[in-house]
Amino acid sequence: MSQSLAPECNEIKERYDTCFLKWYSEKYLRGIGTTDNNECAVLFKEYSTCLKGALKARGIDKLLDEAREDNKENDATLMGKKKSGYITARWDLVTRLYELAIFAWNYGVVTRAAKGFVVLSLVFFLIFLPVERLATREGNLSDGLMRVFWPADLPRSDLQGVVVGWKNSALDVFVVAVLEEVEPRNVEFALKVGTLLRNAPHPVSRIYELCGQSTINVLGLANVPDTADVDPSWIRATVVPGCQIPAVTCSRASSVQLILFERPQPERMQYMSLHPIALALDDKHDSFRQEVPDGSEDDDEKDERRKKDHKKRLVEKLRQHSISKRIPSEKEKALAKIVNQINWAWELETLLQKNVSRIGTRPKRSLSVSERVVESATTARDMMLVWMWNLFTAYVWPIIKRIFVMGLMGHRIAAELLLRILEWRAQPKYAALKDISATAQQVEIRLQQFCYWPMQYVTLRRRKNDWESVTTSHPDYIRFYNSLWLVANDVIIGIALGSYIIDNASWVAEEISQLLSQYTVDALQTSISWLMGWPAGLKLNNELGAFLGDLFLWVIDYWSSCIVALRPVLPHIILFIGFSSFAGASMPIALFSDLLSILTVHIYSFYLASARIYHWQLNILISLFHLFRGKKHNVLRNRIDSCDYDLDQLLVGTILFTLLFFLLPTVVVFYLNFAIARMIIISLKAVFDTMLSCLNHFPLFALMLRVKDPGRLPGGVRFELRDTRDFDYSLNDPSPPPTSISVVHLKSVPLKFTAMFHQYFQMGQRIRKHYLSPRVLLCLLTGKFVPPLNRKNLYSLQYSMLPARRAGVMEMWDAVNSLPEPKKRKPPVQVPILTNGKKFPSNHSGGRSRGYG
Amino acid sequence: MLTTAPHLYIRRPSPTTAEFTVTTCPPLNLPLRLLFLLIHLARLLLAAAAVLTLYARFLFDPAAIPNQPNSPRPNTPSGQPDTLNGAGVDEALTHLRAGQIPLFLTTLLTSAHLSPAGLTLAHFTAPLPDWALALAGMTVLYATLVRFRSLHTTESVLVLRGLGIQICRMIGGGGGRETRFIPTEKIRDVLINEAFRGFEVRYYLVVVVEGEEDVVVLFPGLLPRRKIVEAVWRGVRGCLEEGSTSTGQGSTGKGSQGKGSQGKGKGG
Repeated sequence: MSQSLAPECNEIKERYDTCFLKWYSEKYLRGIGTTDNNECAVLFKEYSTCLKGALKARGIDKLLDEAREDNKENDATLMGKKKSGYITARWDLVTRLYELAIFAWNYGVVTRAAKGFVVLSLVFFLIFLPVERLATREGNLSDGLMRVFWPADLPRSDLQGVVVGWKNSALDVFVVAVLEEVEPRNVEFALKVGTLLRNAPHPVSRIYELCGQSTINVLGLANVPDTADVDPSWIRATVVPGCQIPAVTCSRASSVQLILFERPQPERMQYMSLHPIALALDDKHDSFRQEVPDGSEDDDEKDERRKKDHKKRLVEKLRQHSISKRIPSEKEKALAKIVNQINWAWELETLLQKNVSRIGTRPKRSLSVSERVVESATTARDMMLVWMWNLFTAYVWPIIKRIFVMGLMGHRIAAELLLRILEWRAQPKYAALKDISATAQQVEIRLQQFCYWPMQYVTLRRRKNDWESVTTSHPDYIRFYNSLWLVANDVIIGIALGSYIIDNASWVAEEISQLLSQYTVDALQTSISWLMGWPAGLKLNNELGAFLGDLFLWVIDYWSSCIVALRPVLPHIILFIGFSSFAGASMPIALFSDLLSILTVHIYSFYLASARIYHWQLNILISLFHLFRGKKHNVLRNRIDSCDYDLDQLLVGTILFTLLFFLLPTVVVFYLNFAIARMIIISLKAVFDTMLSCLNHFPLFALMLRVKDPGRLPGGVRFELRDTRDFDYSLNDPSPPPTSISVVHLKSVPLKFTAMFHQYFQMGQRIRKHYLSPRVLLCLLTGKFVPPLNRKNLYSLQYSMLPARRAGVMEMWDAVNSLPEPKKRKPPVQVPILTNGKKFPSNHSGGRSRGYG
Repeated sequence: MLTTAPHLYIRRPSPTTAEFTVTTCPPLNLPLRLLFLLIHLARLLLAAAAVLTLYARFLFDPAAIPNQPNSPRPNTPSGQPDTLNGAGVDEALTHLRAGQIPLFLTTLLTSAHLSPAGLTLAHFTAPLPDWALALAGMTVLYATLVRFRSLHTTESVLVLRGLGIQICRMIGGGGGRETRFIPTEKIRDVLINEAFRGFEVRYYLVVVVEGEEDVVVLFPGLLPRRKIVEAVWRGVRGCLEEGSTSTGQGSTGKGSQGKGSQGKGKGG
């Protein structure tokens, strides 16, 4: 019972209510006791007085009176014999309603309800209606085009089948397999239960994760007669064995885009990709270049960057012209997913076809006695082998592995020490040992490679525990084997070279000392003495020429005595180089390169000295020329100002200018002589460096792969539009198909050769920009020092195959220990071939499972 | 006569797929085909002659063939001046069957050199010094095999709704092609831009690609006239964007001749 309006009347109301209910249910409704209807009247009177008092206290009784006045007639007509009982019931109802109304009013329910209504209707008008309109429009739009991806190398037959694959969106389907001679209902059930993916070698969830869909669906039917009724969203494919292209229709689509593709073979590590495969570790050398602090950056690099920025701004401006930003539809966003699905298509189809025989009912059949005998006989030998293998893996293998890992770690720690030494710089701006010497750099690269290999190997080993269609590690595979192969090549060539050098050490040493004395001493001496006379009829200043020549000759004499002292040691050095070449042919090359720069130090210093003299003289001449014209260089504003010189200043300046001007040719010839010698040495070193970079980073493995199997080096995709007429006539029905079909072939483009050598091109371009630019020519002409190209920039190529940060010792320890144990071979268990009792004699299995060769 | 102004072909099997090809190749009929065939033959002949002269001058070793019974053959009256030495070709073919490619080539070249035509060639080139011959031979080889490999330039754009735009450039007369595919997801806009080139204003189609530092120019080699560019732009927009198939205009098949007067002499 509800509470009364006034709390003080609760008790009385309770009593009255009980009484009333009792009377109402027991007497009134059963039609007895009609004579005495006033048994609760006393209680009611009590209650009504109490309530009246309460109402009066709250001022509601007036309202009540008015209402009663209004309803008098109604009441009167209805009042019959049971007048008083009816009145009580009615009174109760009315008061309740009033109570409710008042309660609602007091707590603001009405306004809240009104507010809620307004808000809901607003939401409906503002959001639901437009969304619904949009949705219908979208639906109308997109049902035009159906996109079907169909493997071109799918086996073709004219049997009825069920097309199974991924449904990327309502009208975007990807066909994986055509399962033949099965009921679509059964297939659907089997897909739902997971029967078709049973016996998968690796977790099935990986397929769904990488293909971006949660289920494989039944997409349609193949080779069904036109009369058969098909779900409207299903496709109806007609595959003719002789015809390349299947005819695909769908009742919901007005036009069909049939995209045929060749499936890449995952076991051959082929795959398809939208972007070219990265042979180098991506974007590494960029970060490598950014390491250089801005102050020491080269001018040409600054220039390059400025140009790039300018271009970026221009393109950005062009981009602002596009007013509307299109929101890509589901179909457009699906492309990356679809490429993954293409990569998975082969493996998935094989799995599905293997499990086709499980669809439907299958009778169970046990082996007969004779079959059992044969089976146990064949497995006995295998059991023996497996037992021995298990013994080996249990006892011998761990020890071998332990020793190997220990050796590896020892090597790694030693490498870490050496690398620390090679990379040590006294100050962050100073050059480390590896920046100065080619040998140090070569050693560093080798050590880094040795550090990186175990990590790479571990990643590649993990690949084995996954599906073959996972393509993320294929570039790693190529990189790993490329560097292994290059090192092997290097060592082989090195052994040949080394044994030759060791066998002929004395002769080689003789030759080298001969060359040294001939070119770095004798040739220089003759050229200097030639310059000291009047070279080529040029009349030089005798005194200055003699002075400069004697100076240089004196130094050369000293240097030649050094070389003579070096001569007995030279065979030992050569022998050392010969032995070092057993570590690879790149080592002797690097050593020779270093030897060349050490043994031609005097030419370098001559070049520096003569360049400095020439540069000074040129500068003095220029400023004296300004004086000669009555001008001077204003350093503060970096411009030429006019200046009033005194007569004596002018006189002295002019005399000095004439003197220096006449002395200039003598200095120029000496400078040119040494500059040319220096350039020759630089180009020699460039040859050595090119040889080194070829030995270290030639994409040999990638080139061989490109020739052997271009599918393994994807460089993007290509679409080819096929003429629709090609296949129209081959279909035997003469009527044109109601839907317009465009047939497109999707092909993988192999990586371009230019892309393989991209790094080399980049290096060549950088060298060209640095040495063959007008700036360098200007430097040469004015006698400014031509800085050698920063080793770090030049050899970004060398490091492109290595990670920016090498893995630490502990990381390597963890990685090596995380390798999975070799699998224990299980004793072979003969699985009886499952049949579902269908009538195909060609195969053991009932459904047509296909064999792949 | 051999080439025309760039003109447009449109292939459109369905409203959502279209290929726009701009080519300088005139519509082929029989005499034209024969002419092209002749030109190609002449090109190959020229290249072969260049190879032969280079071989005869630098690699041919007269001492290597004295024991050949057919060495006096060139001195015989030349009945068929253009055919190669029959016995030499036979010998070369046996080498080829044995799989010895270098030997086959040497034998073939030797017999070609000893044929009357080869000797005439050698006679004519005899006054040239070695370096000039090498330079001339290399130039002819480069020109015939690399530079003028094909007479026409053909560039095409394939538009697939929901997939993207593919740009294709034919290389040489054969099936060689260089393609680049841009997925729709990456395409920000397709627009017509204008630029000075020499003394004229060229209108060209540009694809603005998301996340790339350069815009991609369609038909970069030919840069066709404005009429073609507009037609292609309409087609591309109609094909690429959903819901605007009607703007595509049914201008299939016929190419529009780009002879309009949009020179607009802005260039100075």
